[in-house]
Amino acid sequence: MAKKQEVDVRHYDVILSPHITEKSTLLSENNAVVFKVAESATKPQIKEAVEALFDVKVKGVNTIVQKGKTKRWKGKPYKRSDMKKAIVTLAEGQSIDVTSGI
Amino acid sequence: MQIVETTNEGLKRGYSVTISAKDISARIENEVKKIAPQVRMPGFRPGKVPANLVKKMHGAALHSDALNATVQESVDSLLREKELRPAIRPDVRLADDYAEGKDAELTVELEILPAIEVPAVEGLKLERLTVSISDEKVDEALAELAKNQKSFKDAPKTRKAAEGDQLIIDFVGKVDGEVFEGGSAENQPLEIGAGRFIPGFEEQLAGVKTGEEKTITVTFPEDYPATHLAGKEASFDVTVQQVKVPGETTVDEDFAKSLGLEGLDQLKGLLRGQLEQETNGLTRTQMKRQLLDQLAGAHDFAVPPSMVEAEFNQIWAQLQQEAAKEEDPEAALKEIEDEKDDYRAIAERRVRLGLLLSEIGQANGVAVTDQEMQMLVMQAAQQYRPEDRQRFMDFVRQDPMAAAQLRAPLYEDKVVDFLFDKAEVTEREVTREELEAAIEAEEGAAEAKPAAKKPAAKKAPAKKAPAKKEEAAPAEDKPAAKKAPAKKAPAKKPAAAAKAEEAKPVAKKAPAKKPAAKKAPAKKPAAKTE
Repeated sequence: MAKKQEVDVRHYDVILSPHITEKSTLLSENNAVVFKVAESATKPQIKEAVEALFDVKVKGVNTIVQKGKTKRWKGKPYKRSDMKKAIVTLAEGQSIDVTSGI
Repeated sequence: MQIVETTNEGLKRGYSVTISAKDISARIENEVKKIAPQVRMPGFRPGKVPANLVKKMHGAALHSDALNATVQESVDSLLREKELRPAIRPDVRLADDYAEGKDAELTVELEILPAIEVPAVEGLKLERLTVSISDEKVDEALAELAKNQKSFKDAPKTRKAAEGDQLIIDFVGKVDGEVFEGGSAENQPLEIGAGRFIPGFEEQLAGVKTGEEKTITVTFPEDYPATHLAGKEASFDVTVQQVKVPGETTVDEDFAKSLGLEGLDQLKGLLRGQLEQETNGLTRTQMKRQLLDQLAGAHDFAVPPSMVEAEFNQIWAQLQQEAAKEEDPEAALKEIEDEKDDYRAIAERRVRLGLLLSEIGQANGVAVTDQEMQMLVMQAAQQYRPEDRQRFMDFVRQDPMAAAQLRAPLYEDKVVDFLFDKAEVTEREVTREELEAAIEAEEGAAEAKPAAKKPAAKKAPAKKAPAKKEEAAPAEDKPAAKKAPAKKAPAKKPAAAAKAEEAKPVAKKAPAKKPAAKKAPAKKPAAKTE
């Protein structure tokens, strides 16, 4: 794990966690993985972070902001926080074991 | 699966078994497939989790499960293949360097039961020593019973209560001026000097007269069962209703009626029945001993050392416990130490007989039915308090070991009965003393082989024991309560319950000391082999 220590800490602030769902496992057919990322993260930042953290080559990054649902608690409406997801397509022949975490 | 035999000496067997990694992983795959439809995971609809994820999440648990199952299975199949009958649970060890994906190497060590050819059950010759009950014996027992049944007569008003007299009193007990629960009673009989009330209570009442009122102060003993009273000082306001002096109990119709029976004849009949049961018990004991001697003499085979060891340890623990209770523990300990070899021989004999009996039973289709088992459990439950009975029965139902332990004596009895049926039995009438002597003599010859059930010979103590227990119980108990157990105890005795009850704590002393108080032989091995 010596290599990880050399990695810039700021990358960890960009990539929050892998996003494991039925849909995201289907995406693995297209050699893509899904991460939850920071609200403020940009595509180039995400690309850089993924390449640094997982030691892979990234072909492209798409992002979505999933808006939090509006809920009510004792009649008072409130909003769940938004979540930014990044669909990272990896270069041919590369893979990330998402379940092992970061 | 590859099996290599490593040791084979006597009854010991050792094998090393190799299970290929493929077998294990195939089992895991199977398991994954089986559980995948039930797995729930956030982000997935139930049952839609991909297999590889399932494996990743539950892999370790699945793997160990699969490993255990394969190990179990391969040991089973090993036993089947080699036609082994293990005496104890096989000792199975996994090689230390085992890791997932590698071949698993097992070392299996076990002791097998010796191959016993089914013993010939025909042609056993037994002698039944029967004892006829004479009328004098019945009368004797009757007198004994009468002595235990004190009756009291009203004394003249002027009589001062003395030791041995009975008082009928009302009392109100107070602690710190407060009336406490259970400390008051009316028309309570109290016998001065019987020691049934708390210490000091009875003594202070000596010298009272009928109609007298007296306040006495006593201190509850520290070990009083009711903890909130233990060690406290209490005062009792006692009103003496009546002073009674003990009278001679004569054996007549009235005496029988006072025991709740119809007449003297019925009482005599009951006592006779009791005596007969006792002598029947003795007769059976003696026959069983003969039978076991013959069996032991006719069969000699190696027995698994570990079973002998277990049996021996049991005997030893019991002996040590007893030795500790003796007046001179060290001397007693030394004594049993000296006889260690003898006890080992007993243990071996017991194991052998146990194996033999269970073999005979199996070969001849002797079995304990569910119904019998049910009754047995009920009887065993009787010795517990009512609120614990259900718990005991549940316990027996859930714990196969406990059930086996209960079943073993009955099973053994049935096998013995079966053998009695087969054997040629000659009858001979003897006196009770001769019968007892016969048992003892054989015992000496057979290195103290324990065979009796309940200590049938000791009738009087058996009858008194429950009564005494009752007396030891704290203050408020009525004489009626004393009567009941005294009567019940002997009646219950022949039942299997009594035997089960005795099974554990029974004294397995040196033969000379308590010949009849022996436990049924080889009960434990029988339990194990089942």
